[in-house]
Amino acid sequence: MFSKKHLFLSASAVLLLAACGNGDDETGDTGDTGEETTEETSGDMNELTVWTWDPNFNVRALEMAEERYQEENPDFSLNIVENSQEDVVQRLNTSLSSGVDTGLPQIVFIEDYRAPSFLNSYDDAFYPLGDYYNTDEFADYKVAAGTVDGNVYNVPFDTGVTGLYARTDYLEEAGYSLEDLEDITWDEYIEIGKDVYDQTGIKWITNDHGDLGLMRIMLQSSGVWWTEDDGTTPYIADNEALKMAFEDYKEMVEADIMNVHNEWDQFIQTFNNGDVVTVPTGNWISASIMQAEDQSGNWGIAPIPRQDMEGSVNASNLGGSSIYVLQGEGQEAAAEFLAATFGSDVEFYQELVTEINALGAYEPAMEGEAYEQESEFYGGQQIFQDLSEWTQEIPEVEFGQRTYEIQDILAVALQDYLNGADLDEVLQNAQEQAESNM
Amino acid sequence: MKNEKRMKRIATYVFLILVSFIFFFPFYFLIVSITNPSIDITRGDLLPGSHLIENFRTMIETTPIGLSIWNSALVSVGQTIISIFVSSLAGYGFEVHPSRGKEVVYNIILLSMMIPFAALMVPLFRLFGTISGIVPALGIDTLFGVVLPYVSTAFLVFFFRQNTKMFPKELIEAGRIDGLSELGIFVKIFIPTMKTTYAAAGIVTFMNSWNNYLWPLIVLQSPSNYTVPLVISAMGSGYTIDYGSVMIAIFITTIPTAVIFFVLQKYFVQGMVGSIK
Repeated sequence: MFSKKHLFLSASAVLLLAACGNGDDETGDTGDTGEETTEETSGDMNELTVWTWDPNFNVRALEMAEERYQEENPDFSLNIVENSQEDVVQRLNTSLSSGVDTGLPQIVFIEDYRAPSFLNSYDDAFYPLGDYYNTDEFADYKVAAGTVDGNVYNVPFDTGVTGLYARTDYLEEAGYSLEDLEDITWDEYIEIGKDVYDQTGIKWITNDHGDLGLMRIMLQSSGVWWTEDDGTTPYIADNEALKMAFEDYKEMVEADIMNVHNEWDQFIQTFNNGDVVTVPTGNWISASIMQAEDQSGNWGIAPIPRQDMEGSVNASNLGGSSIYVLQGEGQEAAAEFLAATFGSDVEFYQELVTEINALGAYEPAMEGEAYEQESEFYGGQQIFQDLSEWTQEIPEVEFGQRTYEIQDILAVALQDYLNGADLDEVLQNAQEQAESNM
Repeated sequence: MKNEKRMKRIATYVFLILVSFIFFFPFYFLIVSITNPSIDITRGDLLPGSHLIENFRTMIETTPIGLSIWNSALVSVGQTIISIFVSSLAGYGFEVHPSRGKEVVYNIILLSMMIPFAALMVPLFRLFGTISGIVPALGIDTLFGVVLPYVSTAFLVFFFRQNTKMFPKELIEAGRIDGLSELGIFVKIFIPTMKTTYAAAGIVTFMNSWNNYLWPLIVLQSPSNYTVPLVISAMGSGYTIDYGSVMIAIFITTIPTAVIFFVLQKYFVQGMVGSIK
């Protein structure tokens, strides 16, 4: 009886396995062949795998780089694996922390805010690139995001240089022009906003209370962050710039000049519908603004306002990413490819601007023709010229390893402050909470 | 008296219509959005447009959607069949066969439901890294690797055991007297009697598998193996998103779950209530 039962169990197990085997045969095979081909080519490393996001931006840029590189290296090719940014982070984290290197790419894109935590958590995982290209030719703050203990691990890609995007027609209606928004402080920005709102009834700015991007813009323009230079100690309670940012934010809310959106698509909806006068944000927003073709000629870009304190400049950054190489087979090939394209190819950067409006942080490229073109949509303004000039002025800050973690704490603090709590107290609490999380 | 009853009825219907409208609205927005260009979708246009073909073309050209639907179908169907068979076998065994310490084992299995998947991810990935080293066809970056961790789930074992409690034990005795083997009783008597339970478990498993995101994301690496949620997620990232093609991809991938649910709805409700006639 007993052995019979066993026999049945094992028989059914075998049957089941066989059934699965059949059912999945095809996929098993494709999986196999897929692996074989990558292995074959990875022997001489002519095909490099890249993990990135954004089909119209990062992927396009890579394809353009691949094409240019192929002129000299006809056997070279890229295998571009596209996921959303969160997904790339998730996969990279799982792979690196489990120590399994099966399927890891040679090249990966990482947002500058997240880079320090990757570089510090997995210090053996990344391949230093500082010797492959001339880091002095790039904006300092971009290179700094990928530097740990003096080793440069990144090749900078797009700059998140900010601009104050503004509807010139609304401004004119209220008796202002784009020049009135140049070289101003946030306080002056708010004053003009109140006046424009009074006259036109259109909100001055739109923001999501949970996304502190605006605060990050303000802080970086003053050269500080919400962590100290060591990258982990919270710098909140005594942070004058942050305090000022909170005060300005509240003033915008209380003066009723701020429209509140909740989601990214609502954000885009707000300016596409013409429900807001200014959008202070990173230059990558351009393509979304230009979607509304009926608003052509009615937009302009002024430099971002500065904070009313010493050392603050009319230039800042929001977002942007850099390219990293993972240690392992193919690391040299990957580094050489990046150095020859993103690291030194002036013409390539011209193409990036013309084809996909991607703005790099590579100084020698700025002289080129592409940067001088006038944008009809922005009323004939040489927007790339202006934005690149501001890029060079962006103060360098140490993003540290806790940008998003502390942002979550501060978002709650902001909510308390908006509800009437005392600012010093709110920031002190946030400081303590951030310290206890260390 | 009669009037009062009627008023009550009307109120109920008005309420139900309102609620169904609220539930239907996202679906309506989805259908309208697949015909509009991206800019109109972000502007919140609620009327149908004429951009359907363009959206469809963009989606086909920029994403491996066809391949991913095929992958998702393989994974979902495979996972549904294997996991409800294995889990029902376990649930049945726990309930029907006496064995020392089975309650302890059963409770341990139930406790495993309390561990969130995120906590298991890294160890699981390490495990699959080892499997890949031995049998690459079952490991990382294969569709089988997506299915394997779900072959036996605590929820399904629990679900089948609870339902087995209502299974008349006399049928087992009768089967034994008639000379059926234990596995024969399970396959020839238990499975046909518990059809509704299987249907309910099947729907739940299929939908979970079809919508599963985190594990496929980690374990699948080549785009040719991607399942649908991974492709849609990638479409929605970036500085500028083409909402038109995202919407149409979502629309296409909603169809299978909707169809399966409507076809099996009757069994689903019965199975959830747990009925044996």
